[in-house]
Amino acid sequence: MPFSAYLDGKRAECRALVAALGKRFPYVSVLGTDVRATAIRADKKSSMVQDGRGECGFVLKMHDGRSFFEYSLDDLSGDMNALAEKIETAVEIDPSLCARMIEAPLPQDEPLKQDFLRETDFADFDEETMLTTCKALSQELLEKDERVLNAFAVIQPFTVSKLFITRNRELSQHYGWANGVLMVVYGGEKMAQARHVEGSDKLKEIIEGMKAHTDGVIQLAEHLTHAEAIEPGVYDVITDSSITGLIAHEAFGHGVEMDQFVKDRAMAKHCMGQYVASPITNMHDGAAAAHSVASYFFDDDGVLAHDTQIIKDGILVAGLSDLASASQLSTEPTGNGRRDSYKRKAYSRMTNTFFEPGKDKLEDMIASVQHGYMLFETNNGMEDPKNWQIQCTAEYGIEIVDGKLTDNYVSPVVMSGSVPELLKSISMISDQFKVIGAGMCGKGYKEWVRVSDGGPNLKARVKLG
Amino acid sequence: MNVIRRLLEQNQALSGWRINETIRSSYELFFVHRKLETVRATDTVSTNVTVYVDHDGKKGDSSFDVSAAMTEADMRQKIETAVRRAKLVFNEPYELPEGGAETSELPSNMKDRDPKELGRQIADAVFAADTVPGGSINACEIFLYRDTVRVNNSRGINKTQQKHWVMIEAIPTFTEKAESVELYEDHRFTDFDPAKVTAEIARRMAEARDRFTAKKPAVPMEISVLLRPQEIRELLELLSDDLNYGTVYAHANLHKIGDDLQENGDGDKLTVTMKAQVPGSEASAFFDADGAAFTDTCVIRDGVAAANYGSSRFGQYLGVEKPTGDLPCIRAEAGTLTDADMKKAPYMDCASMSGLQLDLYNDYIGGEIRLAYYFDGEKTVPVTGVSMSGKLSAVLASLRLSQGVVTEGAYEGPRHLMLKGMTVL
Repeated sequence: MPFSAYLDGKRAECRALVAALGKRFPYVSVLGTDVRATAIRADKKSSMVQDGRGECGFVLKMHDGRSFFEYSLDDLSGDMNALAEKIETAVEIDPSLCARMIEAPLPQDEPLKQDFLRETDFADFDEETMLTTCKALSQELLEKDERVLNAFAVIQPFTVSKLFITRNRELSQHYGWANGVLMVVYGGEKMAQARHVEGSDKLKEIIEGMKAHTDGVIQLAEHLTHAEAIEPGVYDVITDSSITGLIAHEAFGHGVEMDQFVKDRAMAKHCMGQYVASPITNMHDGAAAAHSVASYFFDDDGVLAHDTQIIKDGILVAGLSDLASASQLSTEPTGNGRRDSYKRKAYSRMTNTFFEPGKDKLEDMIASVQHGYMLFETNNGMEDPKNWQIQCTAEYGIEIVDGKLTDNYVSPVVMSGSVPELLKSISMISDQFKVIGAGMCGKGYKEWVRVSDGGPNLKARVKLG
Repeated sequence: MNVIRRLLEQNQALSGWRINETIRSSYELFFVHRKLETVRATDTVSTNVTVYVDHDGKKGDSSFDVSAAMTEADMRQKIETAVRRAKLVFNEPYELPEGGAETSELPSNMKDRDPKELGRQIADAVFAADTVPGGSINACEIFLYRDTVRVNNSRGINKTQQKHWVMIEAIPTFTEKAESVELYEDHRFTDFDPAKVTAEIARRMAEARDRFTAKKPAVPMEISVLLRPQEIRELLELLSDDLNYGTVYAHANLHKIGDDLQENGDGDKLTVTMKAQVPGSEASAFFDADGAAFTDTCVIRDGVAAANYGSSRFGQYLGVEKPTGDLPCIRAEAGTLTDADMKKAPYMDCASMSGLQLDLYNDYIGGEIRLAYYFDGEKTVPVTGVSMSGKLSAVLASLRLSQGVVTEGAYEGPRHLMLKGMTVL
């Protein structure tokens, strides 16, 4: 699986443009992206094989010794000096704003030349095979139970090529990831939807995982047709890895994105070195921290991937930064500068975010709950890093009574409340561990990037409604 | 577009094609507090091509992106790949919409303005609201967009629509001593009115101050909850999405035409119309992604599901003679609730939520409330730290809609929607 030939052929133009813009800007970087995605889907009545969410273009980042400037464009061609002039004109500002520019130190530009590659098995699977697989899975789900009204099977592989060039740095990377989804629409006592998600850089594993979960997804849908609304209240809960990840992501991940520190938008800025969670809690983020959907080699600012420990034994020890926020805070960037695409700005963003496993056995955790719920599968979540409130929605929960899981399903389950109260209530952490690489994360309500999250099972006490 | 169009026209294997192109130039300002941190500009073209191949009594289709990187040979290869992919797809036949040329433009007073000067004026209008003692705007992002959206297809559609619009994301904050709270503001418009921008941000600044003083009320309580336009729109979109042709075709709809969504209700009856345009909204359009013209459609009338709506393809699948087009805006008719009616009993007016949580299948409505104004029957106080939940079908049956109406984003309709008997915890 080769690095993008197109980007490879643009190295000279990138260097020339960096040099041309370098006459005015002491720091100039260019990021070239070539992301190719395919979406393959089949359901009861239709099917699809087409390009997915890809991108191909360039973004320039400049620093004039004081502030930052960016310019996004589709191609680098022609006279790079003329293009540099066009870019300089495009990012000019109204003269009255000049005095209002920030003063941030120049980013470091440490010399480094390296090419990174991680292999996939995507070449072993042609599109016809994948579509045939999706059609067979959809048909199998429809035939298993007459109450299945529709069944969707989706496979979405994508490959990423990125080229990053500054005066002193020239980096390239190429890797891939894929997701598989099974979903059924089920008509019973009431209608219900259930799904199963796989993520890997091996399509063989994705397909095997989907095939192994056809019974499970129908059983879950059947249970959800009986699911009732939860009685609002404060409960002991056990989380599955998906909900653990959702808590890590929403409760704390967004709160330690350090561009929020610069804007005084995160309470975490004032809590470094303090207990913010139960002392048995450890949390990480980083493209190098786990092997999943956000495991790149360098970020969109050309900073090499990190494994950042955010919470150590309950104490907040570090945040996540992009180049601009690290520059303003005079800290080292942590490799968390990410863009929705070359068309959008880089922000401090999460990558693979998770709690470390503990020592408890899941069965002991369930046995310790007199009355509560085990919560499963992320639906959505919303952060509030300034005020440390969270809202996390699980697809469903199963009631626990006298230390045993019952057949009582509740759906949906909205978990809300104070972040420190939730994290400090964590009393048990299982020895199991799973990171789920199928999520998309927005910043506020925009700037979508692929992320993973997860961890072990947690026992905590939270408000459900 | 000309090269790819020529290649598509030359390809004998195709029974049809469509080209969607968005040319965007933007000018963007990113403020940290009152300081300008980053200035951005973009100059990009997004082109997506869909090819259609009739085969074996079925229709196959496949889409691909065309990037500036592609040579003519690359494009030819992409078309061949798409043809191969389309032949793997066996969908029920349908016709692409037909129609002629059209060039339209959303009205905007920003059309001929210099983005640098306009950007500064918008920033000034935002920060003019920063007058609340203890208040600040901790972050502000201003995006000035000029979009040219084109659809061409093999049946003669050649349509262009232009939009000049602005998005402001601002973070009003209130701080006293070491304590600080914030709210989120997303404001979009096609006509720049500095006073309106300042007033909108000022309203949010005042709410941020109220969030600072807000306390958690005694809970649990059962109470009427007032939703505001953003959440009303989300609720109405949930109900209208259920009536979309695509949802019906996929057997994923809960309601069918004739179903009473407010059965045995004693509240105001919902009448909801999907529309092509709402004044001032950047979502407004003259045609959809297929290039199909729109027909505004009342999808819920007096609480009863009255019509389906959606794209040409899925409309044809359902046997609809004249599909409505995939309408982007929504209108709800006003109700009977007056301000005086509201004051007759306690209520909680939700000014800011983490996100309204809605589940049609599980009959659920709820969410975390970041700021609400709690009227206890005598006085109104700001509250926070609570969440609400209820049974969707029950609150739909008894809902009340305000007489007063607003236009906000892609929504026009009642300023308030009252949900009776919600549990607040």
